[in-house]
Amino acid sequence: MSNGFLSRWTKRGNLAKPSPRTKRAVLLVFFTIFYLLGAGYHFILWSSGATSGVVVPFVYNVVILACYGSLWLLISDRFRQSRATPAKAFWHTLVVGSVLFGLAYAVAQIPGGFYGDGLPGFWTTIVKMNVLNLMEATFFFVLLLRFRDLVLYKRTKSSERNWYLMLGFMVIASLITLVKPLGEGDDLILMLAIIPAVAFMMVNAFRVSWIVQLSFKDKMATSGLSMLLLGLFVVGALVGGEDLQPLNSSFLVFYSSPLSLFSGLGGIFGILFSVTALLSLLFHLPTTGDFQRKADEMAVMHSLTHLVNQVFELEKLVSTITASPVEAGSADSAWLAVADPGTGSLRPRIIATHDIAPSVLAQLVDTDALYEEVLQTKEPVLLSQAPLDHRVEARPGDGLSSLLAIPLRARNETLGALFVAREVTHGFEKDDVEAISIFAAQAALALDNARLFEEQIEKERLSRELAIAKEVQHKLLPQRLPSLEGLTLAASSVSAQEVGGDYYDFVRLDDNRLSFIVADVSGKGTSAAFYMAEMQGVFQSVSHIAPDPRDFLTHANRALASSLDRNVFISVIYGVLDLQKEEMMLARAGHCPAATINLTGDARFLRSQGLGLGLDRGALFRKTLAVECISLQPGDVYVLYTDGLVESRGPTGEEYGYDRLLQSVSAHRHEDAPDLHTALLTDLDRFLGGQRLYDDDMTLVVLKWHGIDLSQAADAGQKNYPVRAVSLD
Amino acid sequence: MSNFSVSFSADGGIQVLSLRGELDAHTAPELEAAIQKCKDDQNFKIVINGEQLQYISSAGLGVFMADIEEVREEGGDIKIAALQPKVFNIFDLLGFPLLFNIVDTVEEAVSLFQNGES
Repeated sequence: MSNGFLSRWTKRGNLAKPSPRTKRAVLLVFFTIFYLLGAGYHFILWSSGATSGVVVPFVYNVVILACYGSLWLLISDRFRQSRATPAKAFWHTLVVGSVLFGLAYAVAQIPGGFYGDGLPGFWTTIVKMNVLNLMEATFFFVLLLRFRDLVLYKRTKSSERNWYLMLGFMVIASLITLVKPLGEGDDLILMLAIIPAVAFMMVNAFRVSWIVQLSFKDKMATSGLSMLLLGLFVVGALVGGEDLQPLNSSFLVFYSSPLSLFSGLGGIFGILFSVTALLSLLFHLPTTGDFQRKADEMAVMHSLTHLVNQVFELEKLVSTITASPVEAGSADSAWLAVADPGTGSLRPRIIATHDIAPSVLAQLVDTDALYEEVLQTKEPVLLSQAPLDHRVEARPGDGLSSLLAIPLRARNETLGALFVAREVTHGFEKDDVEAISIFAAQAALALDNARLFEEQIEKERLSRELAIAKEVQHKLLPQRLPSLEGLTLAASSVSAQEVGGDYYDFVRLDDNRLSFIVADVSGKGTSAAFYMAEMQGVFQSVSHIAPDPRDFLTHANRALASSLDRNVFISVIYGVLDLQKEEMMLARAGHCPAATINLTGDARFLRSQGLGLGLDRGALFRKTLAVECISLQPGDVYVLYTDGLVESRGPTGEEYGYDRLLQSVSAHRHEDAPDLHTALLTDLDRFLGGQRLYDDDMTLVVLKWHGIDLSQAADAGQKNYPVRAVSLD
Repeated sequence: MSNFSVSFSADGGIQVLSLRGELDAHTAPELEAAIQKCKDDQNFKIVINGEQLQYISSAGLGVFMADIEEVREEGGDIKIAALQPKVFNIFDLLGFPLLFNIVDTVEEAVSLFQNGES
């Protein structure tokens, strides 16, 4: 919907309603006409000297009601535009009242106020009657309409209803006097309307909540004004009293009974409201300061924004949280203790203090013990006489005479506790505890957000670090596989996490010899990755110096012993391949046995004896280590792997296992190493149901010996296999 | 969540820890705590009953390595009994039988302790 359409639509809405100005002009015209008509009627009565049946007086009364109805609406409309403050409402009423009273007093000096047998005595009677009634009605209308603003201050549905019911019963009572003029016979029916009207007056008169928000000065001013207004009522009642001259007003009632009654009822409400207002104002005067202080406290502690803004600066946030109750005047000193989320310790740490030195605090208060209680009860702990508590060492005068500990809870977890203290005993009343509790709830929220934010930052930092670690670890694995005559190779390694503890590598010892290794550090993740890196260093350096499997593994075991944790070990399979001798030496240090198959399909695991690195740091390792010396035959395949391969579980939870591996190797034994490698992984994937989710690091290395004399191999229908590196990641 | 548990029983002065479920990096701390408790109670003669142990990972094996030295210095030992073949295979691959008494039954492990004493 376009703006143009909206504005046109709004304009049309405005056109349908008369402008306030027109409305007021129309009301004013109505009022003037009806008022003059009413006055005219009295003059006709006076000049004719005779009363005129039933119909004409009824019409007269209707005209008068319309006249004063218009006046009510006029005043109401005027006041609706500017809502009055309490002092202003009283002031307006008082000024209008005083001016009108003065004028009325002057008018009353005009002689000739007599009304008898339903007829005005003199022409001055008519004038006085019209003018005085207008003044009286104006005053009470002003009073009711100004007080309306106060009665309906912070209005609710029920307060609004009470106000209109009061006015309604006042109007009903007034209208009853049309059929049953005042002072004629018993007024039972009239009383039935007046009683509820007065009852609602009482209810409305007690709507004095507007007093609370007044300042001391305002309260003084308003109570003075209400006193003056009451004075005006007293003077008015005395001067206007029936027996007192010169304002004998008894004839005024002949102008309009409903109007007189309505004004009278308005007067009653005026007096009631002024009295309750005056008394409430006086009662509230002494507590104004307290209210003001409370309001200020609330304002300071409830301003969530200044906490929320500091979520990104934890240090600033905690100092603001600690300072707020003190700055708000709710406490003389404060400190904040939180359980350290970093260490996971439940022992609280005081992270901020305000108006008390941490060293002093440590001597005077057993924050740990208090925190313990808060943690268990999850409720504020109030020590009204702190020095009497066993957890507080403070003496009177140390500034810790009353103490309040409030848990900071967010997401059903106690993050810490806010401690506030006062220099006096019994320094925290129920409402103080409530106010600080509300503040603490918000503080907890801000603190929790700040913590989450920091955690997020930390998480991102860690994931960046891990990405780097992954890259570095990737570089520890051979970037290119060595290329050797008569041998094909393929290798891959994947980590369950960003980094892992699996390792494979090759070292070209000389023209004819190649050493190789597959290792698996126990556990996984970062710690395993560090040991893996160490293993890489050992392999790259030691295998050159001591290539023999027993020597190499013994050296490695000794080298790693100093850095390996007691519960960490590395399983290794290590071998040296000699192209010239066409033989391979292989040792297994606790590692998964290599699977091997020859051309004829004779498949088996090479399960020689050997302890994992790190399991024994003495002589046992070397003593128990067996080395196999294998004479290579063309077509021999050696499959080295880590337990992540055989322990991979399929959808049913079943492990891939050694048998399947051997079957798969057997089935694809005629492939060269890269194709065999791919085929093994494909077979594994099929077993895993297509979902490549490894819960452990997994490494697979395939070596295939084709024989030195490649021409022979070619004769046998085999190709010259180029060396290819296959990488899974 | 955890599909691993340790239950304690005593046979004379010998603590038998019966393991159930899968012992891996996540559940290893439970066994660590159990062995720690034995040490705290000055029970250094420990038999691990692996009858209900379905799986053990390298991190799980590490738990035995962590404490064995201290236990042996105190004149005790950790003896491992009644492992299922698949789990025994994992112990065996690493060469654990060279370091630990791994026997077929708990009774056998207990009697090894008793014979050692007499």
